[in-house]
Amino acid sequence: MIKFEKIHLIFGRVPVIEDLSLNIKAKEKVVLFGRSGSGKSSLFSMLLGFVKPDKGRILFNGKVLDDETVWQVRREAVYVDQDISLGNTTASELIDSVSKLKANSHLVFSKDKIHGLLEDFGLSPSVLDKHLPTLSGGERQRIAIIITLLLERKVFLLDEVTSSLDEHLKKKVVDYFANRDDITCLISSHDPQWYNNDSIKVFNVEEKRWEQ
Amino acid sequence: MGTIDIPISSLALSFLLLLIPIVISIALRLSILRSLLYSATRMAIQLVLIGFFLKYLFEYNNPLVNLLWLGVMLTTAVFTAIKSSTIKISKIFLPVFVSFTISTLTVIFYLNTVVIDLQNIFDARYLIVLSGMLLGNSLRGNIVGIAAFYKNIRKDIKAYLYRLALGASEYEALLPYMRQSIELALKPTLAAMATMGIVALPGMMTGVLLGGASPALAIKYQIMIMIAISVSTIMSIVLTILMTIRICFDKSGMLKQSVFSNASIHD
Repeated sequence: MIKFEKIHLIFGRVPVIEDLSLNIKAKEKVVLFGRSGSGKSSLFSMLLGFVKPDKGRILFNGKVLDDETVWQVRREAVYVDQDISLGNTTASELIDSVSKLKANSHLVFSKDKIHGLLEDFGLSPSVLDKHLPTLSGGERQRIAIIITLLLERKVFLLDEVTSSLDEHLKKKVVDYFANRDDITCLISSHDPQWYNNDSIKVFNVEEKRWEQ
Repeated sequence: MGTIDIPISSLALSFLLLLIPIVISIALRLSILRSLLYSATRMAIQLVLIGFFLKYLFEYNNPLVNLLWLGVMLTTAVFTAIKSSTIKISKIFLPVFVSFTISTLTVIFYLNTVVIDLQNIFDARYLIVLSGMLLGNSLRGNIVGIAAFYKNIRKDIKAYLYRLALGASEYEALLPYMRQSIELALKPTLAAMATMGIVALPGMMTGVLLGGASPALAIKYQIMIMIAISVSTIMSIVLTILMTIRICFDKSGMLKQSVFSNASIHD
């Protein structure tokens, strides 16, 4: 599904990633392990075409990533970032603007569906009318997760999406993604809940190997 | 009812008025003294030269020469607009030139043919003077608009990338920034339009009035030019953004850092 082949990435003169290969099969859930700065986020950026590797190649669904095929990744995978900049709109305006994108025009974001997801993640419907910058980090994180779920995609790229949540909610989010057997997930997180789940494989980015 | 001529000697007396800002600058130790004198001198020299030039241009009134001079005006406007942004001139000169040319010529030829109904639509008195007003005014909007568009994207690149990651096309992801900068660019023009006549007697009207025409005629020209300015401003800012996007972004929708003259995001 997602294949990194002998990736080298250099920022300025500093090598961030050296000769990394990683193969994620369809429906697998993989959490990236490594300290901050070990290139975990860069793997997401490269997969989405925001950063180009200096050497090596990336395959998504069997297709080599280039200027054309990255657009397909952006339509088929969904990405959530730790400190996502959601703009100065209300939550419902943001959800509305996402639903209006051409790539999502086949979806219906019904009120019931949105309210159901809000409830699942412990948010009250009143949060929809609040401006995003006034929400807490945890609330924003959950809004971002809910948007990714509304998109009904099969590949999830989750970059530190549980960092601002409390223990109970962390577990809830981890369990939700781990228990869905129809999706592929690539995760980066420092939260132990992701590592202690039997359905999630752990890949050590620094050692470039799977953890047993 | 001609305009009273000002002899050169008397015109020199108007420079005496500058003594007031000079005294203020010295007393308050403002740093603008040098640039005040520089700008005033440069303005006077430029206008004297352009005065002679326009005199011959009007007398000669050759369509080709008029269009050539319009080309010079456009080129200068394009250079000024790009210079105040953070983008390298060599990269986007052509698209901005095309955008300014289309938006100015469309409006001017519409005015000259449909509204004023000129015999000779290349008549220097209309072509050059009206284009000058359009360019001068839409330039301000364009400077604000182009600079804000690219500055906001670079400052807020994460929000742009997030929209791409949700499946937005390049155009869809850029639309919020386009809206922002077009609205910003149009604000001064719209504000000027709304207060016209009460707060300011604009240049066009002053010119026509001093030229000896009736206020009624002056107002008709002013109404026409204000509408023309707002139209050419919005046309040129939209065209400029659409055309420079092709150059400043690569096929994968990423900003090309090589088109910017400064590497840093903050200016």
